[in-house]
Amino acid sequence: MNVIEVNSISKKYKVYANPGSKSIKNGLSSLFKKDTLNEFWAIKDVNFSLNQGDKLGIVGNNGAGKSTMLKILSKITKPTSGSMSVKGKVASLLEVGTGFHPELTGRENIFLNGAILGMSKSDINSQFDEIVEFAGDQIIRFLDTPVKRYSSGMYVRLGFAIAAHLNPEILIIDEVLAVGDADFQKKSLGKMKEVASQEKTILFVSHNLTAVSNLCNKTLHLEHGQVKQFGDTGDILNNYMASLQRNILEHQYDSVNHAPGNDQVKLKFAKISPNLFDEQGYWDVRNSFLIQFEFYLLISKMSLNFSLHVFASTGECIFNLGTVPTLFQNGIIRTQVEIPSYFLNDGNYTVSLMVVKDKSIVVHNFEEVFNFEIADFREDTTWYGKWPGYVRPQFNFPVEQVSQTI
Amino acid sequence: MFAKYRSQILEIVNDYELLIILAKRDISVRYKQTYLGVAWAIIRPILTMLVFLFAFKNVAKIKDFSGFPIQLVVFSGILFWNLFANTFQSVSNSIITNGHLISKVYFPRLIICFSSTAVSIVDFLVGLIVYFFLVLGLNQGLSIHLLWLPLAVLITLMISVGLGIIFSSFSVKYRDLLQIIPLIVQYGFFVTPIVYTSSQLIETKWYFYYTLINPLAGIVEFFRYCLIDQYTLFDYKILLISIIISSFVFLVGLFLFEKREDTFVDNL
Repeated sequence: MNVIEVNSISKKYKVYANPGSKSIKNGLSSLFKKDTLNEFWAIKDVNFSLNQGDKLGIVGNNGAGKSTMLKILSKITKPTSGSMSVKGKVASLLEVGTGFHPELTGRENIFLNGAILGMSKSDINSQFDEIVEFAGDQIIRFLDTPVKRYSSGMYVRLGFAIAAHLNPEILIIDEVLAVGDADFQKKSLGKMKEVASQEKTILFVSHNLTAVSNLCNKTLHLEHGQVKQFGDTGDILNNYMASLQRNILEHQYDSVNHAPGNDQVKLKFAKISPNLFDEQGYWDVRNSFLIQFEFYLLISKMSLNFSLHVFASTGECIFNLGTVPTLFQNGIIRTQVEIPSYFLNDGNYTVSLMVVKDKSIVVHNFEEVFNFEIADFREDTTWYGKWPGYVRPQFNFPVEQVSQTI
Repeated sequence: MFAKYRSQILEIVNDYELLIILAKRDISVRYKQTYLGVAWAIIRPILTMLVFLFAFKNVAKIKDFSGFPIQLVVFSGILFWNLFANTFQSVSNSIITNGHLISKVYFPRLIICFSSTAVSIVDFLVGLIVYFFLVLGLNQGLSIHLLWLPLAVLITLMISVGLGIIFSSFSVKYRDLLQIIPLIVQYGFFVTPIVYTSSQLIETKWYFYYTLINPLAGIVEFFRYCLIDQYTLFDYKILLISIIISSFVFLVGLFLFEKREDTFVDNL
């Protein structure tokens, strides 16, 4: 059964050239002349349908229309054209703690926020203790304190605790997972997973693709307000991630004159190639990869070694790998190295290569030859936060119970 | 067309819990941070009354010809005016004040308008209690027509909420409208028999047209009819005109609001 059906929905916004446009004067003058130039389609001709129990992840770049889509689905704003039918009680969580009033106490805000999100008073009363408990010990102590005195963490925890106890048939969520400290994130994502396992229909906008791939069975990929792809999460994310990775992975200079470098050494060819599995569209932590270089050596009888640096996006050098110094004649020189799987953590990296003469004199440093991104991969997890660290080793880490007495 | 209003009203009835909790929020927020709390609802009308009594009796030396206790005439007028003006202003601003809610959650938008009348109603009730003490202090009696007061309040709310939702329907997009509201409240106070009675107006040739333009005049005299013993300046025909105009304004308000509520989020 289709619980959500969206038929060619479009949403147009007027783009005001200057903020003063919203005055009565301009309002009156626009009655007489139609201005169609400053229009912007946030959503254009979107179609999809969901069955009961489907979990839909909505992904796309900033400005792709994800949030507008959620606002239309939760009836906050009307589409310019098109129709949709939504069957069942909807709760939308577009932010944590919607309508919290800073002057009111935590207790009062639970009732206020609950009512705003569509809970009845008796619902809130019966779940009050669970909500408070979920929010944590700190909240219990400050339940009768105005929320303006709360730390931002407490504020968010209370807001999420209320949201987690909503019991709608359809739940619409916008990025609320990116809240709180790591501990609370774990807790709230656990709760999400629990909710996801029920027969509820969930629509979920997130930039956290690990979370989308673990929580959602279907994915809608929006681009410039239009449906780029819609279907099973695995396929869609594969293509989406591939399109996200704007990697510089290969250089080829066939003419010595145009190749980068100096009068002693020039780059001929450089390539970084991940060993992808079949059907895998993007590069993640599971893939080993090969780095290859070829140089034009313009001077004879040089003792050279090559020094490879891999930098994290923060600029820190993660490792430096050197070749054995070798005596070369002029011509073409090739070097290559394979980096094993589960070595680099997910993230963005750059690679430089330094050419060194006589073990210590730098001939040339080829900076940022490559720029690549490694995606995350996790299976069967309830935690979707960023995996810490620059390396992602999988060392054998056994654990055993030694005895049952203390 | 009326079915539309009915469904609008029905939606609100279904969500009455939200209406009540938003009203409670406004009331508790209003009294929470002020040291004198509810006292402000008492002090304000008393001060206004004293200022006008001082101006009339001691400075302008105006004699009221109606023959009713001037304190009661002024205080009842101010009670009415505060109810009207505060309701009108808070409803007009309600959509913009609650913009953060409207842009994040869906619920019938009219709830915001209706719940924002709560504070002015509570203020009115507090003022009413003060009024009863004033009646006692002046050794005056209460009128049996006090029983009509709920109707008087209802008519006042209809016209003030009606005007308020008309303004809120348009002020979200055209913010300059908000500048007009204080002017209406300020000038309306003087062109309506608030700190005087209609005794002298009644004798003029244009009184009928005046009541058409300013339906508030009929309502304030109805208030006094309810609140002041033996009050004679009340004319039910004038009240009827006020009721018709107030209902009309209220319906026009609902109509315009229904037409424009979909544009609120995009203009906030």
